[in-house]
Amino acid sequence: MDEFSIAGQVVGGKFGDIIIRQKSGNDLEIGDLMVSEENGSFLILQVFSLEYGSQIQDRMQQMMSGVNLEQGSDAQFYEPEFVNYVLARIKPLARVYNENCEVKIPKSLPSFFNKLRLITKDDLKFLQKEKDSIFVGYIRSGSKVIKEAEVWLPAEDVFSHHVLIPATTGRGKSNLVKTILWHVLDSNKVGALVLDAHDEYFGRIGVGLKDHPRAKDNLVYYTPSNPPVGANRLTINLQSIRPEHFEGIVDFSDAQFQAIRTYHWKSKDGWLTTLMLTDPDSATDQIAASTMSVIQRKMRLILGLIKDEEGRLVSKHEVFDSATKGFTTVDDIVQDIEQGKVVILDTSRLGDEAELIVGNIIASKLFEKYKAYKAVGELARKPVVTVIIEEAPRVIGVDVLTRNNDNIYATIAKEGRKFKVGLMAITQLSSVIPRTILANMNTKIILGNEMKQEREAIIASASQDLSEDDRNIASLDKGEAIISSIFVPFAMPVKIPLFEDIVKEKSSKARPEKTKVF
Amino acid sequence: MLFAHLSDIHLGFQKHEALQKIEQTVFEKALDECISRKVDFILIPGDLFHVNIPEMRVQKFAFAKFRQVHEAGIPVYVVYGSHDFSPVSNSVIDLLVAIGYISKVTKVKDSEDGKIVLDFLVDEKTGVKIAGLSGLKVGRDREYYEKLDAAPLEAESGFKIFLFHGGISEMKTESGVDGDHMPLSLLPRNFDYYAGGHMHKWNHQKFDDHPNVVYPGTPFAGYHKDLEDNAKGEKRGFVLVEFEEKIKSVEFVEIKNTQYQIIEVDAENRVAESINKELQDKIRDIDPTQQVIIIKVYGEMTKGKTADVDIYAIRDELNEKGALVVNINKNQLTSKEYSITEARGENKEEIETNVFSENIGQLRYDHPELLGEQGIKLAKKLLHELGQSKLENEKKNEYIPRILGNAMGILGLDKDDS
Repeated sequence: MDEFSIAGQVVGGKFGDIIIRQKSGNDLEIGDLMVSEENGSFLILQVFSLEYGSQIQDRMQQMMSGVNLEQGSDAQFYEPEFVNYVLARIKPLARVYNENCEVKIPKSLPSFFNKLRLITKDDLKFLQKEKDSIFVGYIRSGSKVIKEAEVWLPAEDVFSHHVLIPATTGRGKSNLVKTILWHVLDSNKVGALVLDAHDEYFGRIGVGLKDHPRAKDNLVYYTPSNPPVGANRLTINLQSIRPEHFEGIVDFSDAQFQAIRTYHWKSKDGWLTTLMLTDPDSATDQIAASTMSVIQRKMRLILGLIKDEEGRLVSKHEVFDSATKGFTTVDDIVQDIEQGKVVILDTSRLGDEAELIVGNIIASKLFEKYKAYKAVGELARKPVVTVIIEEAPRVIGVDVLTRNNDNIYATIAKEGRKFKVGLMAITQLSSVIPRTILANMNTKIILGNEMKQEREAIIASASQDLSEDDRNIASLDKGEAIISSIFVPFAMPVKIPLFEDIVKEKSSKARPEKTKVF
Repeated sequence: MLFAHLSDIHLGFQKHEALQKIEQTVFEKALDECISRKVDFILIPGDLFHVNIPEMRVQKFAFAKFRQVHEAGIPVYVVYGSHDFSPVSNSVIDLLVAIGYISKVTKVKDSEDGKIVLDFLVDEKTGVKIAGLSGLKVGRDREYYEKLDAAPLEAESGFKIFLFHGGISEMKTESGVDGDHMPLSLLPRNFDYYAGGHMHKWNHQKFDDHPNVVYPGTPFAGYHKDLEDNAKGEKRGFVLVEFEEKIKSVEFVEIKNTQYQIIEVDAENRVAESINKELQDKIRDIDPTQQVIIIKVYGEMTKGKTADVDIYAIRDELNEKGALVVNINKNQLTSKEYSITEARGENKEEIETNVFSENIGQLRYDHPELLGEQGIKLAKKLLHELGQSKLENEKKNEYIPRILGNAMGILGLDKDDS
C-alpha cells in the first residue's frame, strides 16, 4: 500500500466496533468501505460512525473558540493535523483470500495499528457475474460509486426466496424495480407478474421497459383501455373468478361467504353473474335478502359492476366482462409467465381490492400449476417466477392476515420457495408485515427510510447483522441502497443507476429494412 | 347493400371420399347462397384452400364455382391464409386472381424504411374501401402489423373493411390453442368491419376502436378437431353483412353439413379391458348409418399400453354398420405404465437422444437389441428413416414401400416375419 492511498489507521476498539484515526486530507463518509491488508487476505470494513478526536482537552478547545469568536482573532492550532482529527468507527464485513478470491465472514480483528485504505475496484474482483443473474447496481463506498464493481444476484435463488424492497416515497423504488426488470428481460429465465398500480413500468409515455431490445419477445403489457400498438387489452371474464379469490382480500362475513359459495356450487362458472343479477328477495337456499344485498353492493363496489338497461352486467373500468370476452386472459398470462416473460398488468384504473383480486386470480393459477409441475417432476424445467406487489401490507400485513384467511400472496410468501414462485414485496411499512413472513424474505434491498420504527423492523429481519446501520439506512440518498441477502457475502452498499441512463445506453434501434409483403 | 364473409374453407383438407364430398357441397352451397342473396361482394380472408396447390379434383370444382360467382357479377376479395400462402405467388389463389375470378386486396404502396404502407382497393359498385394483410405460418405475419403504418389507413374516410388472417388474443375462447395470436391493438383502428380468418369458430365481437371484429369460422372442417366440434353441436356457415354508411346487421348463415355421433370415453385410472367394454356398450346404442362417428378416448390408464384399447375393432364394426366415416382421437390417451417423459437438449439430435434415453428403461422385451444403448441407436435410426419425405416425382405407391422396406431393414426384419 502506498502512502498516498492510506486513509486511516486502526487505533482501538473491539470486534464489530473498531476505531480508526482518519488520515488528514481524507474525508471519510458513513458507509465508506475500507480495506485492511493482512497476510494472504484482506478485510473489507465499513464506516458506520464518525466523531472528532483531539489531543487537546475539551475545555482548552472551547477557550480557543472563545478567543476566536469574541476577540475576532484567528488563532490556529499548532500542527492541527496532529492534534485534531476524525475517528471513524468501522465494522468488518468480509475477509477475502487473495489466492482464490474466496469471501468469508470475518472472525478476527485487523492487525492493531494496521493502515487502512479505501476500497478500489481491484478489491472487488470476487463480484463476478454468474450465469443467469440479475444486475442490481454498482458497489458504493459512502457516496462514491465504483462503476467497475457491478453487483449481480443469482436470479433463481433470489426470486424464489422472495425479495423485500422497503423504502419511503421518493427514494427510488420504481427506478429499482425497473432496473431489475430490465435485466430480467434479457433472458427467459425469470417469469414475472407485475401489478403496476401506477402504470409506470411499461413506459406508455416516456421511457420504460418497452424500450428493452427484447421487449417484443419477452415483455407483455395488459391495460384495460386504449392499449398502445402491440399491447393487450386487460379483460377478465367473470367466469375466471372463484370465491376463494376474495379470501384474505375482501372482508365478507361467514354468512356472506357461505352465500357466495352456495352460488358458486349451484351456478358453477356463471355464479358471479347469476349472483349479481338475482333479486335479493328471491335468493336461493333461503339466503337472507339483506345478506344478498350486502354481497351485491360489495361486489358492485369492488369489481365496478353495474347492470345496464338490458339487464346485463357491465364493468365500469372495463376489466371484467360478463359476456364473451376475456375467457383466456388468465391462462394466456400464466402461459407467458411460464415462458419466462415479464407480464405487466396496468391496474391503475382499478381500486385496491379489485387490483388484488386480479393479481390473486392469476397468482393462484400460476401457483397451482407450479405445484403440479413439482408433483410430476417438471419443475426444474420451468423458469422461476416472481410476483411483484406494491404496498405489500395490503395483502401480507399483520392486520389482514389475522382478520382474514391467508390469501395467495401470504401463501406464496410462506411456501412459494419450494415451488420456484417468489414474491417481490414493495413497502413503506415493513413493521406491519409479520416477522414470520419478513424472515422468509431472504433478500432485502433497503432504500432510504427516515422512519425509525421501519428501520428497526428491517434491521431485525436482515440476513446480515445491520444493528449498527440504523444511521446508515437513514442517510441513504435517492438511488442508494443496502442489499442484505443470504446470497451475498455481506450487506452490500450499492448505487442503483438511473433507469433512463440504462435505456439510453442499452436500447438499440433496429436498422430499417425492406419488408417483403405477400 | 350486402356482403358475404367466408373463411377457412380449407378446400382439399379432407382425405376420406365421403368427407370430400361434404367439403365440396358445403363450399358450393355457401357460394350459391351468396349468389341467390345477391350479395354485392364476397370476402375470404385466407385459407380458402388447405394447401397452396391442392389436387386437381379440388381445383376443378373450385374454379367452376368461382366462375359462376364471377358470371353473377360478384367480386371476391381475398388475402392469403397461412395454408394457401405462397411466397412466390405460386398458389392456386394466384391462378384465380390471374383469370380475374378473385382479387387479392393487399396493395403495398411502400415497404422501405421498416414501414409498410398499404393502399385501399375500392369496390367499384359500392365504393367500399378494402385493405388487408395476408396470414403467414406460426404468426410470422405479426411483423407486418408491427411495421404497418396505420395512421393513413385510420384517417381514410368512408366505409372501410380490413381483411386479416390471424388469431386475436382478445377473442380467444379456449386456452391451450396454438400460440400464434396477436393483440387486437395491432390491427389499424377505425375500420367499420374487420373480416377475420384463422379462428375456426364463429365469433363476432365489438371493441371501442374496432367496432365489428368477425370470424365466420370454417364452414365445415379444416382441422380434425373441427369435426369433433361439429359433433358437439358447433354451428358452421358464413356471415352476411348488411350495411349502408355503417353496419346495419351481421347475420350468421348456418349451412348444415352432415349428421354426427360422438363417443367419448374417459380412460383415467382405468385398464384397457374396461375401456373396450364401455366402447362396445356405447356403440351398441347408436345407429351409425350415414353418420360421421367421432370416437375420443382420453385420460391416463393405470396400466398396459394405449394400443390395448382396441378402437380399430370398433371402427371396423361401425363401418360394417354403414357409418359414413369413423374418426378416432386417441391423442390424449396415455398410460402410467408407458408414459413418455419429456427431455431437453440443445438441438433436435440431442433432444431425440435424451427422450429415448429417458424412456427406454420402461420397456421390457426379450430382445436385448431393442433395449439400452443399442435400443436408443436403433430407435434414432428408425425415427430418421420414418421422417424421410417423398422424393421429387416419387409416387405414393413407390414411397410407402421404400420407407417400409428401409425401416424393416433397420429392424432386421423380413416382410414374412410379421
